[in-house]
Amino acid sequence: MLWYYLWVAPHVLQGIILFAMVRRGWLRQFPMFFLYTGFEILQSALLLVVAHFVSYFGPVYFQVYCVGLALSTAIRFGVIFELFSHFFQRYPALSGAGRFLFRGATLVLLAIAVGLAVSAPGNVVDHALKDAAYASLKATTFAADRAVSVLQCGLLISLFLFSRYFVLSWRSPAFGIALGLGTFAIAELATTAIRLYVDARDEPFDLAAMGIYHLCVLVWIFYLVRVEREPRFTVKTLPKYDLEIWNQELERLLQ
Amino acid sequence: MIITLIIVLISFLALGFLIRVAKSRVSASKVLENPTEHMRAVDLEAFQNLVDPDEAEFLRTNLPSAEFRRIQRERLRAAVEYVSCAAQNAAVLLRLADAGRRSPDPATAEAAEKLVQNALRLRLYALQAIPRLYLGMVLPGARISPVGIAERYEQMTRLVVLLGCLQYPTRGVSAAL
Repeated sequence: MLWYYLWVAPHVLQGIILFAMVRRGWLRQFPMFFLYTGFEILQSALLLVVAHFVSYFGPVYFQVYCVGLALSTAIRFGVIFELFSHFFQRYPALSGAGRFLFRGATLVLLAIAVGLAVSAPGNVVDHALKDAAYASLKATTFAADRAVSVLQCGLLISLFLFSRYFVLSWRSPAFGIALGLGTFAIAELATTAIRLYVDARDEPFDLAAMGIYHLCVLVWIFYLVRVEREPRFTVKTLPKYDLEIWNQELERLLQ
Repeated sequence: MIITLIIVLISFLALGFLIRVAKSRVSASKVLENPTEHMRAVDLEAFQNLVDPDEAEFLRTNLPSAEFRRIQRERLRAAVEYVSCAAQNAAVLLRLADAGRRSPDPATAEAAEKLVQNALRLRLYALQAIPRLYLGMVLPGARISPVGIAERYEQMTRLVVLLGCLQYPTRGVSAAL
């Protein structure tokens, strides 16, 4: 029961995200995230159909899952690029440094991800096994997923560090998208790493991943649906000495 | 197995960092309540003196080598402190100006926008200057001049005054600069 809830509920809830984005006009600002959300809903529906009418979590199901995962991963890269662009547009002074950071971080993380993928033990498959191809596909998928998670997680953490140092103000939707995506990438990184090295049943990992994804969807809903309060900075009364200070400053300026 | 443990550990650290970022976003608005509390005084003339290459050259020619290295290290340590203070002030002003960017008054919004871009440049310069100053401490003989910080800080101060004239809320902030 819990399994089905975690499978279906987040994707039903993602409908709220699509609705909120259209209603608030964020579709233009975050088209990749809109595409990602829509794709996740479609993918989930397709997998549900395959699992019930074609192959119950068998090789066919996993092949469909792999294709979906690859496409979803590509779109997630698009969302990360969209978040970086969002900042560069709002803060032109940082455009050069930001692009340098994005390229530098991508190169370093790519090197780490490739190193981890090469050292992954998943490629060693006992070919005597009846379903060796299926096992091989599974191991390769997890190894690739881990490499991609390193890259995505690293890029999002770099973005958070960058915005933290430069005290950049995140608008609610951008912050929510990055927070949810970052949490998801971190969880993916940890679960795929454990899956590759620990010989255990898939079910607990799947449940954990689905639970975390559900949490991420709730984070997205929270930041996309709530009304953002504009940061205001007002004084009730203007003290007498203010004019004096301004005068001093202007005199200093004219000197 | 060791790689897995390292990855899991990094994941937990990254998650902790994200939680901290989410929490700090809530507390960031507190800076707007009383910005002067978060500002640190910067003596621009003293800073310019500390990073002046002519001053360093004068000390180099008039002091024994060991004495010059010791004094130059002290001077650069003080310069790092000044740059850090200027960068912190820029961070506070960034929050103020960011709020001002959404002002319905176009003149205020424009001044705030300029202040944001200037403060960002100052923090960028600070990011480049601090490692250079530390390098100067390791190699006191090397000629290190964090060009741009003082000029940028002065420009930023002017913009704060302008924004202060357009908008009441910056009262007292300009006095700390």
